[in-house]
Amino acid sequence: MNKLGRGQRDKVQQFMSITGASEKVAVQALKASDWQFEGAFDIFYSHSHVKSAADTRHLEELYNRYKDPYADMILVDGITLLCNDLQVDPQDIVMLVVSWHMKAATMCEFSKQEFITGLQSLGIDSMDKLKERIPFMRSELKDEQKFREIYNYAFGWAKEKGQKSLALDTAIGMWQLLFAEKQWPLVDHWCQFLQARHNKAISRDTWSQLLEFARIVDPALSNYDPEGAWPYLIDEFVDYLTEHGIIQKGKLSDWSYKL
Amino acid sequence: MSSGQKKRNFQIEAFKHKVVVDPKYAEKTWKVLEHAIHEIYNHNASGLSFEELYRNAYNMVLHKYGEKLYSGLVSTMTFHLQTMSKSIEAAHGGSFLEELNSKWSDHNKALQMIRDILMYMDRTFIPSTRKTPVHELGLNLWRDNVVHSDKIQTRLLNTILELILRERTGEVINRGLMRNIIKMLMDLGASVYQEDFEKPFLDVSADFYRVESQEFIECSDCGDYLKKAERRLNEEIERVSHYLDVKSEAKITNVVEKEMIANHMLGLVHMENSGLVKMLLDDKFEDLGRMYNLFRRVPNGLSTIRDVMTSHIRDTGKQLVTDPEKSKNPVEFVECLLEKRDKYDKIISLAFGNDKTFQNALNSSFEYFINLNPRSPEYISLFVDDKLRKGLKGVKEEDIELILDKVMMLFRYLQEKDVFEKYYKQHLAKRLLSGKTVSDDAERSLIVKLKTECGYQFTSKLEGMFTDMKTSQDTMQGFYATYGAELANGPTLVVQVLTTGSWPTQSSVTCNLPSEMLALCEKFRSYYLGTHTGRRLSWQTNMGTADLRATFGNGQKYELNVSTYQMCVLMLFNGADSLSYREIEQATEIPSSDLKRCLQSLACVKGKNVLRKEPMSKDIVEDDGFSVNDKFTSKLRKVKIGTVVAQKESEPEKQETRQRVEEDRKPQIEAAIVRIMKSRRVLDHNNIIAEVTKQLQSRFLANPGEIKKRIESLIERDFLERDNADRRLYRYLA
Repeated sequence: MNKLGRGQRDKVQQFMSITGASEKVAVQALKASDWQFEGAFDIFYSHSHVKSAADTRHLEELYNRYKDPYADMILVDGITLLCNDLQVDPQDIVMLVVSWHMKAATMCEFSKQEFITGLQSLGIDSMDKLKERIPFMRSELKDEQKFREIYNYAFGWAKEKGQKSLALDTAIGMWQLLFAEKQWPLVDHWCQFLQARHNKAISRDTWSQLLEFARIVDPALSNYDPEGAWPYLIDEFVDYLTEHGIIQKGKLSDWSYKL
Repeated sequence: MSSGQKKRNFQIEAFKHKVVVDPKYAEKTWKVLEHAIHEIYNHNASGLSFEELYRNAYNMVLHKYGEKLYSGLVSTMTFHLQTMSKSIEAAHGGSFLEELNSKWSDHNKALQMIRDILMYMDRTFIPSTRKTPVHELGLNLWRDNVVHSDKIQTRLLNTILELILRERTGEVINRGLMRNIIKMLMDLGASVYQEDFEKPFLDVSADFYRVESQEFIECSDCGDYLKKAERRLNEEIERVSHYLDVKSEAKITNVVEKEMIANHMLGLVHMENSGLVKMLLDDKFEDLGRMYNLFRRVPNGLSTIRDVMTSHIRDTGKQLVTDPEKSKNPVEFVECLLEKRDKYDKIISLAFGNDKTFQNALNSSFEYFINLNPRSPEYISLFVDDKLRKGLKGVKEEDIELILDKVMMLFRYLQEKDVFEKYYKQHLAKRLLSGKTVSDDAERSLIVKLKTECGYQFTSKLEGMFTDMKTSQDTMQGFYATYGAELANGPTLVVQVLTTGSWPTQSSVTCNLPSEMLALCEKFRSYYLGTHTGRRLSWQTNMGTADLRATFGNGQKYELNVSTYQMCVLMLFNGADSLSYREIEQATEIPSSDLKRCLQSLACVKGKNVLRKEPMSKDIVEDDGFSVNDKFTSKLRKVKIGTVVAQKESEPEKQETRQRVEEDRKPQIEAAIVRIMKSRRVLDHNNIIAEVTKQLQSRFLANPGEIKKRIESLIERDFLERDNADRRLYRYLA
């Protein structure tokens, strides 16, 4: 540690607090990735004792702790318990990330397969280890590529089984959660617009294209291209914004989002 | 000669003694020739011997005195030309040109003779020394000493231009003289003609016409101005043919065209009260033709006319179709359109030489404004309906074809051809079912024309309607063949069986048929289903008609032709003297809006009021009472009261039809998208929109927003997907 500069030392501290790794491991990983966090995390987790540390028996025990008494899956009560153990709010968005890692098909339930295989792939076999991993998972939301994957995953996860589209209320809830992380100034207007004008379920295409819209088009719509192959609903949203004077001549006049 | 001597070739030896040429000899010879030249110029040539002079010239050249001869020629000729020049300069006023002409003529004659005399020199000495040949020399010397002499050059030009000006202002001048003078300049060479005459001529002419055109424009109207311009143009052409070089024609006409036409083009076209628009309005074929012929000579001339004509047609057309007065009567509306089209066809053929670009401009203008009124398709169908119902009665076959062709022409302009199709179907159905078509051949002819224009799909259902009518006839024959005897005493039933897909969709309505009809109808139903198992029949009571024989209280007997609804209502009065609206409604179960309309037509229309209504108001309310009008009279034995004629749709009906059209378009758009994506596999957003619009153009103008919605719907249903890398690209999913 003595040979490192101040900035590097800070990074090592951060790395350790996020991953729970030892100083030596932290320094190694960071050096190998040229002092970039992302690379360092990847190295750490891929080298970490993935298969060997995860003991299947432990996992079975864990599963049984949360499993529903009447069905061979973890349902709402089990999940609440799980969240308590993790000291995480069930509404916390990090639970979405957890589900994503586990490739859970639907929200509020984990099948046995999903739970066990998911934890195995993370190299986790105890709640403590999972709790340690939580901060890292939170940081994954900051990664643009991963956020997109999680966002798109969320559609399938949040919708009803057997339905093609996502119910509007659920969608709005998800958006508010997700865009709290990603910071899109127009999210509230979007939700208001949908409730006032659309009142129908959201299609997958609209869902995924909305993220692109939030990413590409700036909140004042100065670079919005009407011929830009945006879904019809988004075009209507732009019209709605102009009609209500929220966007005027490429300026966002409603600054409430800043508050 | 002895045989032993050598043989020798026969030789001719040259003349042994030389002819010594005395230098003085050369001088003497020259003097003879010089004298001859003087005599020639002095008009004294008759005393000369051609042979002697020729020989002298020959000798000089032969003995190498060609140079002396040549230079002598030059100085002698020059001397004479200078004398001539002075004489010309001295001429006064009008005789200047004559003197010039006369001296020119003299010089030419002299030159001719001199050339003949000196021909040997021309052929031998001159080519070998590359000197100018005699004739050309003579012209050059004339040019240099006479035409280009200080005192003559300017005066010559001014005199010519002055004469031309006088001719332009109406005086008669000596054209023969002018021709000779101008020809002289031409003979002196192209550059002399151009520099000494043509260029200044064109400049002066430009000034002249510039001034004149300005004067004309201020005091003439457009038609007069064009006449004047045409006259001037013809004058100039005539002038050239009489006394100028033919190559000058294009140049001078250019000048006139530029000054009189090109410079004033816009002013003329837009001239108040007499410009192009007025000419079009008043059908001034001659003036328009003149304008066309003149303007086509100048750059952008025709396009100027065309543009003004186009915007005029668009404006007046727009006024026509958006005029609420005209929209009241669809037949009149369409007749106005046809009139307009005929008017401009005539103008283009009589005045614009059937110019294709004008035809195209006319077509695009019509296409533009016809589609400004969204009811145009409906109105055109109503026009056809009117014609096929009664308008073409007694009209000859060729004339019928003419009218139908005109209708087709308007049809081609429509962007929303599918709307037309919907209305046409409705109107055709009414015509067929009421048997009110004037000519079956005319109907079929129009269908054929539509098929040629739009393809088999467009007309297959229409043809289905005709087939149904025919088949129904056969069915009826079979029905009466089977049951004829039984039914002889009852009412006569005529049924048309309509195949659901081919006829305009109607919702089925309730209606209680009178008992006399009910049994008969059921008999037909079982007969039909007996031979066509697996089909379902439902009576379309809102489309039928009935003929009733009515005997009124006053003893009058009439035959009433009514709709099925009206029949149901009237038959009730066989069992009751008076009935309230409520009772009628209950008994017949006809939907109230239809029932009200039906009762109105039976009780509130003068001449057709077979029923009496209490109170006498026009509106129908629940408590109104109805009874048979025993005082009913009519001039005709057969009274028609039915209301099955095709009419302009009411607002709500129109909305409904429009909605149905929009609904029908959705699958068509989807089919087009799938077709295109299937063949292209991957395509970007803008290109899809463009291709789909193009494919559907022949039926309707596809809305890009609607196309987008359809694309999204197809994505939803996994026909298409967005490309992962480029979100503007769509991919076909097999």
